[in-house]
Amino acid sequence: MARSALKSLQSLKDLAGRASRSGGRPADETASDPLIGELRAALSPDRVRSDGAQKALMKKDASVFEGGVSGPLCYPESTAEVQAIMKLAEKYDRGVVPRGAGTGLAGGAIPLGAPIVIAATKMNHILEVDLDNRIAWVEPGVINLDLTKHLAPMGFHFAPDPSSQQVCTIGGNVANNSGGPHCLAYGVTNAHVVALEVVLPSGEVTVLGGLDAEPLGYDLRGAFVGSEGTLGFTTKVAVTITPNAPDVRTLLLSFDTVRDAANTVSAIIAAGIVPAALEVMDQRITQAVEAYVGAGYPTDAGAVLLAEVDGLADGIKIDAERIGDIGRQHGATNVRQAETDHERALLWKGRKTAFGAIAQIAPDYYLHDTVVPRSKLADVLEQIYEIADRHDVLVMNVFHAGDGNLHPLLVFDGREEGKLDAVHAAGAEIVTASVAAGGVLSGEHGIGVEKQAYMDLMFTDDDMDHQARLRRAFDPVCRANPGKVLPMGHSCADIAALRSVPADVWG
Amino acid sequence: MDLKLDPDDLNTCVQCGLCLPHCPTFRVTGDEAMSPRGRIQLMREVQDNDAPVDDDVLRSFASCVQCRGCEPACPSSVPYGHLMERTRETLADAKLMTPGWQRLAFLPLANPKLLQAGSAALAVANKLHLVPKRLGLPEEIRVDQKPIIASGDDVYFFTGCVMDAWQREVHHAGVRNLEAAGFGVTPTNELAPCCGALQAHAGLAGQTRTLAEQMMGNLSVDTRPIVVDSAGCGAAMKDYGHLLGTPEAKAFSERVFDIQEFLALHLEKLPAVSALDVRVAVQDPCHLRHVQRVHEATRTVLRPFVRELVELDDDGLCCGAGGAYSVLEPELAGDIRDRKVAAIDQVTPDLVASANPGCAMHLAGAGVPTIHPMEIVDRALRGI
Repeated sequence: MARSALKSLQSLKDLAGRASRSGGRPADETASDPLIGELRAALSPDRVRSDGAQKALMKKDASVFEGGVSGPLCYPESTAEVQAIMKLAEKYDRGVVPRGAGTGLAGGAIPLGAPIVIAATKMNHILEVDLDNRIAWVEPGVINLDLTKHLAPMGFHFAPDPSSQQVCTIGGNVANNSGGPHCLAYGVTNAHVVALEVVLPSGEVTVLGGLDAEPLGYDLRGAFVGSEGTLGFTTKVAVTITPNAPDVRTLLLSFDTVRDAANTVSAIIAAGIVPAALEVMDQRITQAVEAYVGAGYPTDAGAVLLAEVDGLADGIKIDAERIGDIGRQHGATNVRQAETDHERALLWKGRKTAFGAIAQIAPDYYLHDTVVPRSKLADVLEQIYEIADRHDVLVMNVFHAGDGNLHPLLVFDGREEGKLDAVHAAGAEIVTASVAAGGVLSGEHGIGVEKQAYMDLMFTDDDMDHQARLRRAFDPVCRANPGKVLPMGHSCADIAALRSVPADVWG
Repeated sequence: MDLKLDPDDLNTCVQCGLCLPHCPTFRVTGDEAMSPRGRIQLMREVQDNDAPVDDDVLRSFASCVQCRGCEPACPSSVPYGHLMERTRETLADAKLMTPGWQRLAFLPLANPKLLQAGSAALAVANKLHLVPKRLGLPEEIRVDQKPIIASGDDVYFFTGCVMDAWQREVHHAGVRNLEAAGFGVTPTNELAPCCGALQAHAGLAGQTRTLAEQMMGNLSVDTRPIVVDSAGCGAAMKDYGHLLGTPEAKAFSERVFDIQEFLALHLEKLPAVSALDVRVAVQDPCHLRHVQRVHEATRTVLRPFVRELVELDDDGLCCGAGGAYSVLEPELAGDIRDRKVAAIDQVTPDLVASANPGCAMHLAGAGVPTIHPMEIVDRALRGI
């Protein structure tokens, strides 16, 4: 089977089979296991699972990566319970891996070395909405879109809107510093988290950040957001809530080529307009999406640009007209404005289900996530098509054009002989090309296990050693999400040996 | 073990997880094994990796309501309902699911006389308060109701099993509405004793095939439309084409219409009357919304006949009835219903319109004032 073929990747097998540095125990537990007994006493018997079915399911998130067998799976309902789990993990020297909705695309939630899985799905309460301070305190398992729906009657929403927003959790958004189409104007998750209650790997509970505009001391909140579960487990999040815009306009521009669409995006930003969203889809993905949603996307266009502006009606009317004009100057063959909320919702539904819709074409996909400078978009895209062609892999492009965040989607049938190797080879070249163009490894999916091997494209050994030191300050033994983010050579056991700063660091 | 699932169907799932929030059991448990993605993964583990079919795996499959709310949410169009029905069929054949007492319990459905006798016994038990309240049975189960008399031969009206025994007044309302629109109606009665939906859900698809063939044989002497006022039955009958895989079955399925769907196509034929002074919330039965996907018709038909129609803000999430599910899985069904009741409470309706007998009974069990859309139209047309 295609998906299981992926697990044969040697490097991952090594990872998955590798016993955790913070515990060397294989995962053949039974209910008589003292760890399970203590976990059940601390939570409740039905919220600590160790059956084969559960463990089979924990091996995967939404990425192509498959982890090893997990340890016990815990469903805590309170900070105190998370704290108890963390203390037992220390007592029994086990790693812990956090899990929200399991929609991550970099393997961040898969178990390596039989860790305890802490599922956030039962910590799913919106604790408090404070309109005066424009914040909401939520538990980590709250679904992103549920929060926005909860806030809707009050005229507010949670701004980061990943394509998976109908299912992904706030905790996962914090872990990955998630973005989304509307983060162009509003900023990514880090800009919307003011404070976090976290359980550190030591079991200590602390609050990072605060409700003051300028909290004292170092911004540890900022360090925690995007740390992919390697610094601790979030139990409560204070997020800012954003007032709904009084009016919104959504435009759909069609182009003959992706280059024309990319150039239009650069020109819009250069003209000083800050749209709420600028999304591009190439012809192949547009056709797949249209077959699923039937939103009226033009299937004969080489590329489409979905542009949204929000704000006061008079202002965005002018912005929408200017975007249309700029598009036409750059080769737009058609400019259409959504006339109704329904039409607008359909267009967005198409964009946000793009990744799933490709299964209409082939059973497997590998979704990449790199960022390039906006001005290089057209060039890098051409390289991506060339790379995929050379490896005989079908590539589709759908991306957050406004901030240069590319999502090349390699579509394939893993049952075909040698296809998987071709996909990985093409992927490696795409990442390398993006970084060479002045870009970065990941826009929003995170590093997880996926991008570890590419970290040295961007970071020197010193860079990575310093990241490892930050991590070790929170988690000296790599208990939290072991085996993720930092490459093997830079994880805890290695930095433990690095007792002093290398002589050449200070020049 | 071989679950006899088509590998291509199984491979359609790319595990994106977009189905999770649309799954009622995942919503109330947060448990991956109680989600469509998890269940599909377990099907793969069993079929492809020879994972043991242990209690936990069976629990995952048995806990599915088969509401199929995950299907419209799936961008990859995974045929989840068919995968689950086939899985249950294989497991039931292997005696791993659906114990003997359940198989016996389904038999009377296909036999009107047995059903009548069973209903009479149940009516007595209910009167003596021996039937748990949560089942939401009507206060009085009337087994000697007025028969439905044929009024012409424009359409068949599917009467079915339990609904005919317990909610025949809904049938009468539906028939009167069809007649008011000028259609002569033939009730199917013993020509089509049961659609076989509950049996298929329980993995007893063999029984369903027999019932389907019997019904098709009796109703295929002509090509009249077959109108159904139970969303679950209509969905099952529209699926005969897939179930039997024959051109005849496909042609038969195309003749099947939900009654709201049918009347929405002929709305102009219904007399114009003054609307009832009620605020009505529409509760979409899953098999009308997610399977037949004709739930808009309920609104089209109701709109002229009520003062106000309101929507529930829960994306059509299941109410937990699920045919026999509320009896077999009372705890989960109750938790799922709590969510639905909360969504209903938010919009403070006078009445909740539900076009499926199972949903109506399950919600009535929680004190929700449910009514079939056809009864609303009937009341408006008759001015009562």
